[in-house]
Amino acid sequence: MDTPEREKRSIPSIDPAAAGGEGITRRAFIHRSLVAGAALGAASQALFPLISTLDVAYGAQEFRFAWISDTHLYPKTLNTRFVEKAERAVNDVKAMKPAPDFLIFGGDLAQLGDPVELQLGADILKNLSLKKYFIPGEHDWYLDMGATWEKLFGKQPWSFDHKGVRFIGLDTVSRGPDYWSAKKMTPAERMGHMATLDGSVAGPWAGVGADQLQWLAKTLSNWPKDKPVILFSHNPLYEYYPPWNFWVRDWRDVQEVLRPYTKVTNIHGHTHQVLYNEIGTMRSIGMLATSWNWPYPPQGVPALTVPMVRVDPGDHFDGVGWGKLTMTAKERVDYQYMMWRKDVFSQTQVDSGTGDNMNQILSPRFADRP
Amino acid sequence: MKKGWIYAVIVCSVSLGIGLLGAGIGGAHKVKHTPEQLKAFEDVFMEQVKIGDLLFHGDAATEKKLGTKLSRTGMACAMCHPFAVDTHPYEFPKFQEQINKFSTLRDMINWCIEKPNEGEILGADSDAMKALEAYIYWSNRGSKLDPGRH
Repeated sequence: MDTPEREKRSIPSIDPAAAGGEGITRRAFIHRSLVAGAALGAASQALFPLISTLDVAYGAQEFRFAWISDTHLYPKTLNTRFVEKAERAVNDVKAMKPAPDFLIFGGDLAQLGDPVELQLGADILKNLSLKKYFIPGEHDWYLDMGATWEKLFGKQPWSFDHKGVRFIGLDTVSRGPDYWSAKKMTPAERMGHMATLDGSVAGPWAGVGADQLQWLAKTLSNWPKDKPVILFSHNPLYEYYPPWNFWVRDWRDVQEVLRPYTKVTNIHGHTHQVLYNEIGTMRSIGMLATSWNWPYPPQGVPALTVPMVRVDPGDHFDGVGWGKLTMTAKERVDYQYMMWRKDVFSQTQVDSGTGDNMNQILSPRFADRP
Repeated sequence: MKKGWIYAVIVCSVSLGIGLLGAGIGGAHKVKHTPEQLKAFEDVFMEQVKIGDLLFHGDAATEKKLGTKLSRTGMACAMCHPFAVDTHPYEFPKFQEQINKFSTLRDMINWCIEKPNEGEILGADSDAMKALEAYIYWSNRGSKLDPGRH
């Protein structure tokens, strides 16, 4: 869909003040394109993707890349559903025409860091012959502290330049404060606490760390400030509902390093839901999991997020999927949530993943506390 | 004459029983609760909340103790419902779309155990069910009661 077509479309929920009364601001433009994209996708593709647009500037040719993350694989003997969904995402990426330039795997390949789970993931992803890049999730790491992960997928962080964009892959999971040694936990116990989203033992484990921040600053130092930078991270690089450990605890330091760069996009996993935010000059896009969807937390969903629909817990293919990203020649990136359902974004309060929680007040769990 | 005497004894006994029962119940409200009593009442509840929390988070030892099999997929309730989010206990009873009938929270708990988790459903009044219900309600306490809402 080209720009004039998008601008013809409108949705009633757009705040006229946000649109400035003189056309479409970037913020409104994104919101409108979310809804307009749904209609276009529904008409043109079996998977009904939903298209949004980010006007990331770059000066080279168009290209596409694909995102898969949060497969959370158990051994096949225990759970075949997650295997089926990971394989479906891989087959979808394989079927992309034209083929994407590369795949980014955004972490949480395994559920409990078991080498059997990680190897299963590696075997599934081997079916994709295109170039692949990897960043880890906490589920991949805390059984053997990344030993199997690094053996299979190499070390992070990394950086490469591709067609006018500097891509960076961060490790936001390995620097968790030591909560296991003093309590003499087994590796499986350590992993179990890390794998509990609402647990209170692992604490604010997600972080970039001073050493990686230095690396990031150095890696960006020779890159023009007005050229596009795309950062991949497992966790979002802003504060998002700390009780569920979504956030990167040193996100302010990350933003400080990124501040001079005017075209930064962060693409992350971990949150298992449709999510969009803008922090300073950085745009942040939360991608889907293939494994399962998380409901939105009771507070803290970014105001710029157009919430996804309530999903059907009886259909394990619902509310999950993968992501298609296009860097266009018009200096924009289109992103598509390749969710395996017709409607991705809520159209009304009653079908909204956030609207569903309107009467809800929650308490943190306590049974895992001393 | 004999029948009349027996009847009188029965009536007196029943009346005395009801009277004693009433005095007992009434007594519970006439005596001011001590802090120790209130603490004891809360402890009974929170013990069940804790058991429910552990079941909800897939604790193997608690499952073994109660003889339950809440999941065969590796998934625990809390993996989709951290802090029991999106369980909406305050909306029950209501028509539940997945079950296709007017349902209670306990019906929905069993649906989740049986369908997504592929586990073994619980007796509606079993200890494990009551503990799960206690945890879900506790975690959602303060939410607005809104029965019937879809």
